[in-house]
Amino acid sequence: MSASYILKRIALIFYTLFIVSLLVFGITQVLPADAAVMMLGENATAEALEALRNSMGLNDPIWMQYLRWTGGVVQGDFGTSLRTGQPVGPALFSALGTSLTLAVFSLTFMLALALPMGVVAAIQRGKATDLFVSFLSYIGVALPEFVTATLAVLFIADWWGILPPAGYVPLSQNPVEGLRHLVLPVVVVSIIMIAHVSRMVRSELVDVLHTDYIRAAHLKGLSRGRILLRHGLRNALLPAITIVALDVGYLLGGVIVVEEIFSIPGIGRALMAAIQARDLPVIQAGVLIMAATYSIVNFAADLFYAWLDKRIQYD
Amino acid sequence: MRLNRRTFLLSTAAATALSVYAPAMALAQATPEKGGTLRVAIDQAVSVLHPLLSRVNPEYLAAELLYSSLTRLTVGMQAEPDLAMEWNANDTLTEWTFKLRDGLKFHDGSGCTSADVVASFEAILDPKFASPGKNNVGPIEKVEAVDPQTVKFTLSTPYADFPAAVAYNNARIIPASVIAGNFESLRSAANGTGPFKLASYEPDRLVVFERNPDYYDPARPYVDRVELKVFPDLGAQVSSLMAGDIDLVATVEPNDFMRLEGADGVDTLRAASGQFCNVNFGTDIAPFNDARVRRALALTIDREAMVDFMTEGFGIKGNDTPLNESYSFFKALPQREADIAEARRLLAEAGFPDGFEAELIASDRPAIRTQLAIALREMAKEAGITINVRTMPHATYLDQVWTKGAFYIGFYNMQPTPDGIFKLLFTSDAAWNETRWNNKAFDALIEEARGILDPVKRTEVYTKAQELMHEDVPSLIPSFFDVLGAKRAWMHDYAIHPRASMFRLDFAWLDANSPTRAA
Repeated sequence: MSASYILKRIALIFYTLFIVSLLVFGITQVLPADAAVMMLGENATAEALEALRNSMGLNDPIWMQYLRWTGGVVQGDFGTSLRTGQPVGPALFSALGTSLTLAVFSLTFMLALALPMGVVAAIQRGKATDLFVSFLSYIGVALPEFVTATLAVLFIADWWGILPPAGYVPLSQNPVEGLRHLVLPVVVVSIIMIAHVSRMVRSELVDVLHTDYIRAAHLKGLSRGRILLRHGLRNALLPAITIVALDVGYLLGGVIVVEEIFSIPGIGRALMAAIQARDLPVIQAGVLIMAATYSIVNFAADLFYAWLDKRIQYD
Repeated sequence: MRLNRRTFLLSTAAATALSVYAPAMALAQATPEKGGTLRVAIDQAVSVLHPLLSRVNPEYLAAELLYSSLTRLTVGMQAEPDLAMEWNANDTLTEWTFKLRDGLKFHDGSGCTSADVVASFEAILDPKFASPGKNNVGPIEKVEAVDPQTVKFTLSTPYADFPAAVAYNNARIIPASVIAGNFESLRSAANGTGPFKLASYEPDRLVVFERNPDYYDPARPYVDRVELKVFPDLGAQVSSLMAGDIDLVATVEPNDFMRLEGADGVDTLRAASGQFCNVNFGTDIAPFNDARVRRALALTIDREAMVDFMTEGFGIKGNDTPLNESYSFFKALPQREADIAEARRLLAEAGFPDGFEAELIASDRPAIRTQLAIALREMAKEAGITINVRTMPHATYLDQVWTKGAFYIGFYNMQPTPDGIFKLLFTSDAAWNETRWNNKAFDALIEEARGILDPVKRTEVYTKAQELMHEDVPSLIPSFFDVLGAKRAWMHDYAIHPRASMFRLDFAWLDANSPTRAA
């Protein structure tokens, strides 16, 4: 993997973000709502609205507004929220931090379950365990997170009272309560991904276990565990990484629903609230930040891929 | 029970309150205990703390905890002392003088005097600050400080309801120095005279308040802390209440209310109210510029069915005027019922023997608006009227349809007085003149009532005004909603306010069963 390839990829990320910025800015311009009306409310006088439009630069040509906005973004200034009057950047990055906490826990939990499930199913191919794992993953794929979230709240929180049904406590404030509040959302977000990844690991591992080099390893007299981990899983894992990277895209979308239901103040909720209030600066910045996250994660997945499998050469 | 000023106020409030409250108030006989954290679920973010700029119920609640007004409204909609101990008016009701309490202090320790009151009201009325309360605080022409504890308001017209008007949600007293300095700074910080001080503020998750030891009533508030927790999902609010993670859900939906009615340790709260969802006509746009067409539509409505469908039975029939038994000075008119034959006759007379087709616009928030639109569509079919329902996002609706459209759905909270609701929506100079009805005779009646103190005479005038509306139908008001809430049984002395935007949590207290009392 050459340095020029990495540079090219980084340039591509910026190009993607440029296109996204054009799209999101264009779309928010045609939304039928006047930012000045949103800010001052129903009782604002015509003069007050006009004065605000002028001071916000809403009367300037659109290209000028776009340049001013991107100029600010490049300098880390995402503008001011129409809803709260506070700077958009700090609020959104703190929300992103909350979402990433949820995402990191979900990915860890998912991998901790999906990998063993896939491996066991592959080894036990065609037996009861395999069928059971397949059955579970079909259910996982079939149930959207708003259904699993509601069921989780109903059974685990309402009936058995084991875990709090909703809310969020920052881990830095109170680690125990923070974790208790994270359990249900993490499980709900993970279910579909567990289904995806365990099926992928199973089918890849089944293929790999039938290859000649695995047979050779057996004939060489290596132990079963060593064959499975060193030779089998390492090769079977590669496609799983792609799936995980793609699932991060799902994660970004899925958290919107899960954050809404479990009242977690992450970036998904911030975007929902901004869309409902037509808070244009927050919508623009939020979409941009999500697009950037997605691009970076996929880039990282590609690098990881190359690191795991030295045969892969990007140029 | 020891009778002090506070319990006296409570008992008079109970006496004036509607019969619906009677059981709740009768239970609230125990002596308040101190301590604990009151945890309240709210369904929207507290986007601003600024009391002059707040616009939705969670923001009103935060402002009410942090700030005080000259007066406040009991659950029976009567003005009671807040910062002002007493008030009086001249004979023509055009000059009102309010006397402030002794030794009032803002949270930063500085004194609160008549100069702050004057500055606050001038800011509310100043178009520059665009306070949503601008049109709700009465016809104030001039406000001046007579001495450090006395404020005089001069009104442009007589106004008997002025003491209730200054209890409006946005009419809070903030320091004059903030208004002269950085007015916007109160969006995320606070300096009021209210029962609680701000401890921490995260708009989308949690706002924490601490007891203000310098509050003017040394007994109140009873709880040490209040936490407002944001739960955008209504189901999560109810689940958290049942789990005991929160103490109060300020408003619940009828189906959640029914689910909570049997729950252990939970009290459901219900009060009759003047809250309604209505169908507005642009009375200057054909075919709705013809009163016969409007009346014909009113006659297609089966109001009993409407109450069941819209409120699940938690409401009462409306009579196409915004008043009901929950308001003072109310006398019921004969109830309008469905009469399809008469509706068809009126339509024929107006030149639509085969009915007509119209588009009815409903915003998507709250969902009840669409529900009303669909119910009307089905009921109007019988008279040959074809209604096409169009829903749109609330922000688009506010921008393009509201106060401009020909045929659309409105949704309103109960106002403190009949004058409040008429002047908000139906007079020619209404803040939100949704129907452009502009009826001079009606305007004159509302204006006349403002100058009358005698309740009997005022009732007569408002009844005449109601008759005009009932006959001319600028707006269909098919049903009123009860306001619904729920709390844990360990929380006491909280009655749901028919205004839905007032909370009075400084009277509430937690008994020893509350989990937050143990700490």
